[in-house]
Amino acid sequence: MKARSCPRNCKFVNMLFYKPLSAAGGWEGKKQNKPGDLPVEKQLIFAFGGKANDTMKNKIILLCFLVGIQPAFAQNDTVQLEEALLSDSYFLRFSETQSKIILSDSILERNSSSLTSLLNYNSSVYFKENGLGMVSSPSFRGTTAQQTAVVWNGININSAFLGQTDFNTVNPKTTDQIIVKPGGGSVVYGSSAIGGSIHLNDELNFSRAFKNTLLANYGSFNSYGLNFGSQFSTDVFSFNVKSGRNGSDNNYKFPGTDEKNLNGQFYNNSLNISAGYKIDPSNIIKIYGNLYDGERHFSLISSNATKTKYHDYSNRALAEWNGFFGKFISKLKIAYLNEEYRYYPTLETKNFNFGKAQSSIVKYDLGFSLHKNIFLNAIFDFTGSKGKTDRYSSDRKTGSASIMMKHQVGRKFLYEASLRKEITDNYGAPFLYSLGIKYDLADFYRITFNTSKNFRAPTFNDLSWPGTGNPDLNPEISYQAEIGNQLYSDDLSVQVTAYYNFVKDMIRWVPAGGGLSAPENTAKVRIYGLESVLKYKKNFGSHFFELNGTYAYNVSENRETQTQLIYAPYHKATASLGYSWNRISSYYQFLYTGKVFTDSTNKNELNAYTVSNLGLELSLGKKLNYRLGVQVLNLLNEKYENVLSRPMPGTNFSFYLNFKL
Amino acid sequence: MTASLLITSCSNDDDTPGIDETGDFANGMFILNEGNFGSNNASVSFYGNDGTLSNNIFQAVNGESLGDTAQSMLLEDEKAYVVLNVSNTVEVVNRYTFESLGTVSTGLVNPRYMVIENGKGYVSNWGDPTSPDDDFIAVINLSSYSVESTISVAEGPDRMEEEGGKIYVAHSGGYGYGNTVSVISTTSNTVTQTISVGDIPNSLFEENGKLYVLCGGKPDWTGDETVGKLFIIDTLNDAVISSFDFPAAQHPSQLVEEDDKLYYTIDNQIYGANLNLTSLPTGALFSTGEQGVYGVYGFAVQNGKIYVGDAVDYISAGKVYIYNLNGALENSFEVGLLPNGFYFND
Repeated sequence: MKARSCPRNCKFVNMLFYKPLSAAGGWEGKKQNKPGDLPVEKQLIFAFGGKANDTMKNKIILLCFLVGIQPAFAQNDTVQLEEALLSDSYFLRFSETQSKIILSDSILERNSSSLTSLLNYNSSVYFKENGLGMVSSPSFRGTTAQQTAVVWNGININSAFLGQTDFNTVNPKTTDQIIVKPGGGSVVYGSSAIGGSIHLNDELNFSRAFKNTLLANYGSFNSYGLNFGSQFSTDVFSFNVKSGRNGSDNNYKFPGTDEKNLNGQFYNNSLNISAGYKIDPSNIIKIYGNLYDGERHFSLISSNATKTKYHDYSNRALAEWNGFFGKFISKLKIAYLNEEYRYYPTLETKNFNFGKAQSSIVKYDLGFSLHKNIFLNAIFDFTGSKGKTDRYSSDRKTGSASIMMKHQVGRKFLYEASLRKEITDNYGAPFLYSLGIKYDLADFYRITFNTSKNFRAPTFNDLSWPGTGNPDLNPEISYQAEIGNQLYSDDLSVQVTAYYNFVKDMIRWVPAGGGLSAPENTAKVRIYGLESVLKYKKNFGSHFFELNGTYAYNVSENRETQTQLIYAPYHKATASLGYSWNRISSYYQFLYTGKVFTDSTNKNELNAYTVSNLGLELSLGKKLNYRLGVQVLNLLNEKYENVLSRPMPGTNFSFYLNFKL
Repeated sequence: MTASLLITSCSNDDDTPGIDETGDFANGMFILNEGNFGSNNASVSFYGNDGTLSNNIFQAVNGESLGDTAQSMLLEDEKAYVVLNVSNTVEVVNRYTFESLGTVSTGLVNPRYMVIENGKGYVSNWGDPTSPDDDFIAVINLSSYSVESTISVAEGPDRMEEEGGKIYVAHSGGYGYGNTVSVISTTSNTVTQTISVGDIPNSLFEENGKLYVLCGGKPDWTGDETVGKLFIIDTLNDAVISSFDFPAAQHPSQLVEEDDKLYYTIDNQIYGANLNLTSLPTGALFSTGEQGVYGVYGFAVQNGKIYVGDAVDYISAGKVYIYNLNGALENSFEVGLLPNGFYFND
């Protein structure tokens, strides 16, 4: 029971420390894996988790934290190990004063190939999904879709045209790790990180492993998914590929009617590759690539409506060089993003509207250990984007400089402070900040505080759409603060975060005469609420129980009209209860979404709904390395819409096979 | 009962002997609420002569939603026809009870407006947004509610006016910019003539043998701004009698006629002039700006009142303002989403 019992180095403490508090990732027993098979991060979880005496575990962690933090920034080899694992290392360095939920492999594997459904059932993020599989936009802590950043390996990938990501155009199964981080993050991730950010991270291990995964599913409405992943690594080389094909006829019956979802079929293909090479102990080269190609017919609202479809294509690449020189960590990143869409407003004619936007990003990141307890970080970012549609062309150049500091004071207290200045020719560039503290009041209780100023840049469409684009728009600005409470014991962890967020200059499309509407910086919105995450696990002999739950209460009030924003529920709750015994596991998922208003005068609303899913899974093989599962989705055949006029499916089924080699 | 008698005693083109004119909606005004594009929340409100307001009457009477994006409405004989742009349908109801009588459900693509002449319905259709060549007028059988035939026309056929066996189709341009009025003979159902007018003819009416066509002109953002124009056309020979140019950067719309005067709007300003005008009015009658109306979304003038539909922010309940002819606000109330038209049932 000494600090020395920390494996190799206690730098990992940061990760460990948030892990047990985070979502299922940290709780996973990982029984079927040997430590050597796992990424470094997970080896540690294994080391502490699994069969270890739980009380002992807690004390070890605590001791690691108390003592181990001291050499935190000094030891080159371990820093390198950790930095090598993920491209987005800010999580490790600068996100300790806000909560986050990490979605584990098993959650990813069990849920459908839709990022919407995955997050809807496992986080407080609310989705506005235009019918199953159709356009889906998030609302994070009661903000808008454009106030949610989607970050791929540290790079913000929101659409240049729309300023948001359609969550049904991301295949979560081609990513290694998904992290949900509520709250402001513009200082690190730039535009849109107001309500929160969703992080899609790929892991690069250097652990002499060779693993293959095949996930296949088939279900109602001829829905199918085939996802394959392979990881290969030596001590100096690492390669990771994931690819998937998903599709559905999506012709579900609307519960309680004779009508069916017409013209809702879709398919998508995706490929994600990452590779790393350690040139020498001080230098690592990494590359990441992602390709997505999907076609969706847009389901009809009324049976005679004109059939349309939409084609999304995106590809992106990221190359980076990491250098570790004494007290310095240097990271140079060069990224290229390309997004294209084609909209076919009348299916038969094959004519289409199109858009194509490309961005090039150069990011330089220099970290410096000023003192054993003080870490400094500077980031310089340059992004050039150009977009072209059948209606207009637009381009923009933005630059930013950030400086961050983290300081561990004594054993229990830590603070982080960051500043960022944007420079651009397109809009008034804001000056941003973030300040956070973390304090361990007891070995079972931690409080965090964070306050930040964040922004959402106007999009190409906002600025340049012919007739309505407003080139004088300013970014939306958000000032926010949150207080987090984290309580944890061996079996239970509870996080409760209260937040306040004031958004000014919110961009709204208002009537501009001639039946047109144009964006203006008009609205002021006051948002406040509470979100909570509960995790509980317990085993009785070979019976293992796990309960995860979230609940969020949110008010998003337009200050002018004193009404709730449209499509922002006051209440959302999720729960999942898992039970496993030997080779059998079963789980129950529950989702409650409170009523939402569909008009800004709050006169029309969509009813609250409760949807639940039931799953049963059988692990087979000597190493339990393949699993057969069945899911009953919308178990109680709830009739609901989460967007007006867009009924969702009733009870339906899915079968899956997950195979690991 | 008295009101009903009074109404019946008023002579009106639409009154046909032998029709039962009783019903909840016999005496008053329909307000057509377009609803949001891509949602089934188009609706009809009814404002009775007795001052009572009923919103969402189609749903209330028929137990189902009207459809997606109600573009326009037409009252003729005992029926009301609602053109639903995104649903690609025309919903037919009894104009007094609003009970559904049927639906024109096939053969329409982006339908806009409807007129009736010679016992046939004529519905303008924009067709595929990406194709300028597939726009058409659908000819509707008013008993079977089906499309009998189509008449191919230039891009963007929009509002229409029927007169003496002819239909005048204003080509606002749809997804492009139009500058013509097509003349269709209802005997042959063919385009017999094309009249050149200004850019974007957005509204028209016929009175005393003259067709008045208001052209908005291309807005500045097109990069090719043109001036608005008012055309007066002789319906005997379809020749242009006169035309008037609006000042630069003014883009008028919503031309209507009432009591030997014409009325139109520019942004949130209401203008009026005599039918025998020799020049355009230089000043507005009044502005709706005090009511916070950005641009007039629905507009009508009837019996000494001016009716303005305000779409507010497009996601709020719309508002209706009723003014006298001097611009004094007399009444206002909330209706459905995006009130774009007023139709008088008396």
